[in-house]
Amino acid sequence: MRRRAGLGAIQKQKLQQEKYKDKGNEIQENQFEQMTKQLDVFKTNLEEFASKHKNEIRKNPEFRRQFQEMCSSIGVDPLSSGKGFWSVLGIGDFYYELAVQIVEVCMATNEKNGGLISLDELRTRLIKARGKSNKHQEISSDDLMRAAKKLKIFGSGFTVVPVGKGKYMVQSIPGELSMDHTAVLQQVNSLNKSYISVSELRDKLNWERDRSQKALDHMMDQGLVWVDLQDVKEKQYYFPSLFNACVDSAK
Amino acid sequence: MSEIDIEWPWQYSFPPFFTLQPHPETRSKQVAAWKSLILDYCKKNKVCIVDIREADQLPLFNNSAINRKLESGVIVSILGELQKTGNAAAVDKSKNRWEIYWHTLEEWGSIIHDYVTSNGLTNSVMTLFELNQGESQEEFHGLHTDVLIKALKTLEEQRKCELILSDEDQGVKFF
Repeated sequence: MRRRAGLGAIQKQKLQQEKYKDKGNEIQENQFEQMTKQLDVFKTNLEEFASKHKNEIRKNPEFRRQFQEMCSSIGVDPLSSGKGFWSVLGIGDFYYELAVQIVEVCMATNEKNGGLISLDELRTRLIKARGKSNKHQEISSDDLMRAAKKLKIFGSGFTVVPVGKGKYMVQSIPGELSMDHTAVLQQVNSLNKSYISVSELRDKLNWERDRSQKALDHMMDQGLVWVDLQDVKEKQYYFPSLFNACVDSAK
Repeated sequence: MSEIDIEWPWQYSFPPFFTLQPHPETRSKQVAAWKSLILDYCKKNKVCIVDIREADQLPLFNNSAINRKLESGVIVSILGELQKTGNAAAVDKSKNRWEIYWHTLEEWGSIIHDYVTSNGLTNSVMTLFELNQGESQEEFHGLHTDVLIKALKTLEEQRKCELILSDEDQGVKFF
């Protein structure tokens, strides 16, 4: 008899466990449903917010940046959403247009800077090129970075390179810059100059002569750097993209 | 010759512009910039003759503000490039003296011919002095006589003029 009672107890226990499990699932499903609902509400609100403040978003770069951050926190990318609600908003179009203009500026200045341009110069030229028709739309560096990053889909042709002190450069030639090349750019930028030498790189970065020379030679092969043999001390390597007279010249 | 202020391109203050660049693509940009700078400078300052041995004295090839000079060998090779398009010519075998033509000789010929026909000077004789040192404010005013003669010779070949070059008189008759 003990056996039977034992079996009954086990069965009872099993039944209880199943009931707990069912209840657990129920609660989980409820929660999930709730979450989905909440997310939907949030999305709807965000969409409402977006369409209500469409003009501010288009006009005010700070607003635009914060809106972008809000969107990315729930996994919505208004830039890549070409369909449905977000396309009506035209946010994607805004960045698409910027991206095209970035390419245009990069191509126009490639002749003198070899395909490397500071974000500041890019912004000045782009705003000038946009002309009066778009005067109500301010373009921030943040906008440009977002648009430029989208250009990555074309391969290694477009890269945004951080050069320290909150400054960036946009590279518009194929062939990525390595860590060493970026480090050279950062050094030149941090010294507030447009040129650098092998011994300066040794002093600042502790690099062997070979390493510096290799990095500079590579950048010269890319047309990013010009060499000056008439300096009293040693060879100097100049970046036209960081040389003021070049940056400011209309041509 | 007094120096006329010219608007220097950005490259003129860029030190490596005065060092011939080893990278082919960069070098071709550099040479192109030099070619147009030389022609622009010579045109504005009416410099018709460049002597390589004295090139240092021209601000064109010597930017004292940044202490950079263009080496004479590099100057010769760039002038050689200009020669290919008829914009310069070496006058001696050692390539020390060069004439610079910001207009090619043919272009100069037709500029002078246009002036002559529009001013009713055909069938008359003019001295070369009248042409390049006279009172006219034409573009060819101040043009070096050697260059003027060469330009007129292109017209002579087209039977549009005849040069009279004796020791005392240098003149030309236009048809």
